[in-house]
Amino acid sequence: MASVNVLNARDESLGHLKSMYGDDAETVIADARYGFISGLLKDVLKKPPIERRTASDKIDKVVVNRWLGIPLFLGIMYAAFQFVFACSPPLMDLLDGAFGWLGEQAGGVSPAWLGSLLADGIVGGVGSVLIFIPPIFLLFIAIAILEDCGYLARAAFVMDRAMHRVGLHGRSFIPMILGFGCNIPGIMACRTIENPRDRLTTILINPFMSCGARLPVFVLLAAAFFPARQGLVVFSLYIIGIIVAIVMALVFRRSLLKGPSGHFFMELPPYRMPTVQGVLVHMWERGRLFLIKAGTIIFGAVVVIWFLSSMPWGVEYASAGSWMGQIGQAIAPIFAPAGFGQWQVAVALVFGLLAKEVVVGAMGAVFAVEEGMLGGVIASQLGWSPLVAFSFMLFVLLYFPCVAAIGAVRGEAGWKWAGFSALYTTAIAWIVAVLVFQIGSLL
Amino acid sequence: MSVKLLSELKAGEKGTIVRVEGKGGIHRRILDMGAVAGTAVEVRGVAPLGDPMEVSLKGYNLSLRKEEAAGIKVEVV
Repeated sequence: MASVNVLNARDESLGHLKSMYGDDAETVIADARYGFISGLLKDVLKKPPIERRTASDKIDKVVVNRWLGIPLFLGIMYAAFQFVFACSPPLMDLLDGAFGWLGEQAGGVSPAWLGSLLADGIVGGVGSVLIFIPPIFLLFIAIAILEDCGYLARAAFVMDRAMHRVGLHGRSFIPMILGFGCNIPGIMACRTIENPRDRLTTILINPFMSCGARLPVFVLLAAAFFPARQGLVVFSLYIIGIIVAIVMALVFRRSLLKGPSGHFFMELPPYRMPTVQGVLVHMWERGRLFLIKAGTIIFGAVVVIWFLSSMPWGVEYASAGSWMGQIGQAIAPIFAPAGFGQWQVAVALVFGLLAKEVVVGAMGAVFAVEEGMLGGVIASQLGWSPLVAFSFMLFVLLYFPCVAAIGAVRGEAGWKWAGFSALYTTAIAWIVAVLVFQIGSLL
Repeated sequence: MSVKLLSELKAGEKGTIVRVEGKGGIHRRILDMGAVAGTAVEVRGVAPLGDPMEVSLKGYNLSLRKEEAAGIKVEVV
């Protein structure tokens, strides 16, 4: 009964305000609040003769200019990527060397099964993910600089119209850019999108942004099967990823996540000089999440995969006789319509659930060859045509992003959407790979 | 002096907010950000693709879509 009284009293007050002021309560309260604030400011505030905004406004005249805005935006994104891809290889080589050394040390541990768990499983598996620390952290530095100087808000401002067209939001843009480095921070960055449907759509399509881990697979196969057109093939995969993302965004916004999109209403802060400390703090806040994922989810998955590859007892690691090899043989027929129905490939794809660059290492292990020879061996032993190689690259681009990325989806949206994300990406990958192979075979 | 919708104003045009229409969260948000009746507002520009727009009020710059700006009535100076 009391609650009815409260509601009645509320309606009475609302009616009273409406009759007094001719406006709804929200407006009346906001008016009164800002009336009080401006009265107070008149008494206590002296404005400086020159306002800081003027310099900022001059920069904005150029940055969000009608003609310069988009070229400048593309230029800045390109510069950020150049910075990341130019600075990370030497650091990655360093880490690679360190993990190689660590693996050798661990491999010598007895008993032999423990040595194998440490070397093949933990150092090999976790190491293959940690090798991405340099590009990921450098990308975070680049993003933090853009964010702290005030440009990111302008990037959302410039891109909102285009993103809105496909049912996304101006703020969806940054997670998608981050996804090219690594999907984990990309998915996590979706937190800044307020509208739940916009946010979920952006999370679900993020895995189609081709992350750094897919590049080694593309580079290897493009070099082996398309020697004259490597760059074009790899570039086309990035573009196909973006197209699939846009198509899926449109599909989601018209089906599962139907409903009005969020508003775009935000402050464009004045430009500021980023500080070293601020940039490092931002980098660490995001990078830390990646490290935690590598230390927990990936660690667990690594042990499971090692176990499957080493059982039954005494079998050669990841060979046809191992449980992993048997799983590969069981699921290989699923991939036959896409052209790559061999068990070794299926095993490599299961390993790829960990992190996609592991696909390369796993094929190396299965065929027992060095990475440099791998492309040729795949061509000769599996008898792949360039068409099969392309359909396989498409599958690697689109299927289950990696354990850690699905873990990030779970963290942002819950188990249900994480499961959905894992299944639908794999289904899309299979459909696209089969279509490309079947249609390509007819030509 | 004429009353127009904020979304109709061009870059450089100034005015005073007369009324903010609308309902729900976004209406509340607009008011919370200080866009109340009597506030001076100036359109700074429009994004390269024609939407959203950038306005300045109360000493800061705000970006909003034309869709939302259409709910704000401004007396043009």
